[in-house]
Amino acid sequence: MRTDFNQPQRQSAVGVLVMFADTLQKIARALWPILVIWIFKFDELNKVYFFSGAIAVFLGIALVAYLKYRNFTFYIDAENEELILQEGIFNKTNTAISLSKIQQVNINQSLVQRMIGVYGLEVDTAGSTKKEGVIKAISHALALALKARLMEVEKKGITDDKNAITADLMSEEERPFIKISLLSLLKVGITSNYIRSIGLILAFFITLYENGMNFLEQSDFDKQELDSYVNQSFAMTTIALLLAFFLLLVLVFNVIRIILKYYNFKISKQNESLLLSFGLFNTKSTIIKPERVQITTVSQNYFQKKMNILELKIKQASSGEKEERKAVIDIPACNKIESNAILMLLFDKLAVKGLMLKPNYRKLVFALFLSIVLPLSGFLGFGYFVAPSILEFMPFVPVYVIFVGSIAYFGFRNYRLFVNDDFIIKQSGAWDIANEMIVPEKIQAITSSQLFWHKSADIGSITIHTAGGNLSFQLGDFTRIKHYMNLWLYEIETSDSNWM
Amino acid sequence: MDNFTNETMDTRQLPQFETVAFESLQAKYAWVVFANLMVRIVLLVLVPLVLSRIKPELFDSQLWMILAVVLPVLVLFMSLISYIGFKKKGFAFRNHDVLFRNGIIATNTIVIPYNRVQHLALHEGILSRYFGLATIEIFTAGGSSSDIVIPGIAKEQAENIKQLLMGKIQKQL
Repeated sequence: MRTDFNQPQRQSAVGVLVMFADTLQKIARALWPILVIWIFKFDELNKVYFFSGAIAVFLGIALVAYLKYRNFTFYIDAENEELILQEGIFNKTNTAISLSKIQQVNINQSLVQRMIGVYGLEVDTAGSTKKEGVIKAISHALALALKARLMEVEKKGITDDKNAITADLMSEEERPFIKISLLSLLKVGITSNYIRSIGLILAFFITLYENGMNFLEQSDFDKQELDSYVNQSFAMTTIALLLAFFLLLVLVFNVIRIILKYYNFKISKQNESLLLSFGLFNTKSTIIKPERVQITTVSQNYFQKKMNILELKIKQASSGEKEERKAVIDIPACNKIESNAILMLLFDKLAVKGLMLKPNYRKLVFALFLSIVLPLSGFLGFGYFVAPSILEFMPFVPVYVIFVGSIAYFGFRNYRLFVNDDFIIKQSGAWDIANEMIVPEKIQAITSSQLFWHKSADIGSITIHTAGGNLSFQLGDFTRIKHYMNLWLYEIETSDSNWM
Repeated sequence: MDNFTNETMDTRQLPQFETVAFESLQAKYAWVVFANLMVRIVLLVLVPLVLSRIKPELFDSQLWMILAVVLPVLVLFMSLISYIGFKKKGFAFRNHDVLFRNGIIATNTIVIPYNRVQHLALHEGILSRYFGLATIEIFTAGGSSSDIVIPGIAKEQAENIKQLLMGKIQKQL
């Protein structure tokens, strides 16, 4: 069926009902606290006022729904090959979506839509998180025809691509070129993700503690006695033992978590893509397509360096579905050679660190200010003016200062940007040192930023936006940053490079 | 193949985005900014006034004193931010990319090459429409942080810009 979409048209007339339900839902959601109060106080209300008010509100919503319906039109501008949506009652919005940029067209049906027999159509491009174009009520035939028309342009270019994927999935041949052994997973388990595991365990213990306390309080237990007993008898040894136990727990927990998640991790090559599968109980599998890779992160800490393992994180371009958007593909452990093999597949060449850009010393000063000066003055101020009892923790202050200070220092020392013709690599991190790599062709937009008091010092920041997230470098030599920016813009603008 | 050359390029001769002359927003847009500011200020003043009617016991003379000092400072601060924000905003369309500058204490310049633009939207707020102004939103695939929103452009100019950009996007294909 071929329908003409070149004239602006409205949605199905019954669509007014969808608008009505939608607006009603929005208002109900915004006003539900008041509604709840009204329901409870129903008897006290003046019924006449209440019902006339309710009727007025319903009429108002109906009017809004009708106007929304009247003012919403859509058509395809054949000349420019774009879908145009016009909407809004007072605030008019006119959205133009170039057909060639459309990633996905979804036809779906909510409960209300099903009741009145219309369909919703959502158009998604690779851009922002929300759906760019939403048509709320059209007939099924029209939806299908519109979808076919919208996807026409895309099909020309991408059919081969889509076939390739399905073919890939069909002939899932087992030819893993990298397998992560249990030993490597053990190594990762004992060397990484401490903070995450500590957080999980702490959360667990805090809930346990609270429940325990509730229990003790209820059971009339003499709390005072228990507290003094704990305090006096084995203060130091208990703490030391507890700490050791806690550390062991963290390690064991970490290892178990990693093995559960990544057991039997296999990477196999299929045509141009990488196929990953992993998991002990539920096996997951994902595909990495090199052209869709945006940011690749290689990270390693001191222990891992000694054991020759590193972790790879790959961010792909978001393609529409929400789950995929956030998906960072994690390859938990591989050695140098394996990671190079993967990077070769992704980039066709090895990442070489180019010219180095260091941050200004103010970066360190600011980090120290944020992590030491501010909290400490808060602590001291609170101690002197409000609650002197917390000053008992004074002995811990030097420990804190040394710990946090060294984190800030190493974080500063590792904070680098390396630039050469093919790669932009940002190195960062105090303990886990991460190298984030992007290829200049993947850049979507660049932001430069400078605080006005940094003008004379000639330092500033840059943020590189890609379809897989941002990469920013702060307080570097601003002249060089601007120079790189011009260079990258030139490269992007003079080539028809494919970023996805 | 005969006329193929591949000279070394002096990257210092590249066009520099930092030397571009930015076009500022329409002066009329200042009224829109001003109206928005007024709404916020009125709300700010109204809240304590209404509260003092409902719960007079909360408002002793000391609190009124504090309010009398804090409110004007806050209002002044908000006005200053609105003013600087308006003054600093500027945009420029080059042959191959669009630049937008904004920021209050920092100067941010965002550059989007035309061949990375995904789609465009044109908004007219109710007040802007009265002044014949429009807002252009330029989207890339880089998520909301890399989108440009240029307010306060004359309606016809906005339409022209939209046509220009749509043309540029088409040409890239």
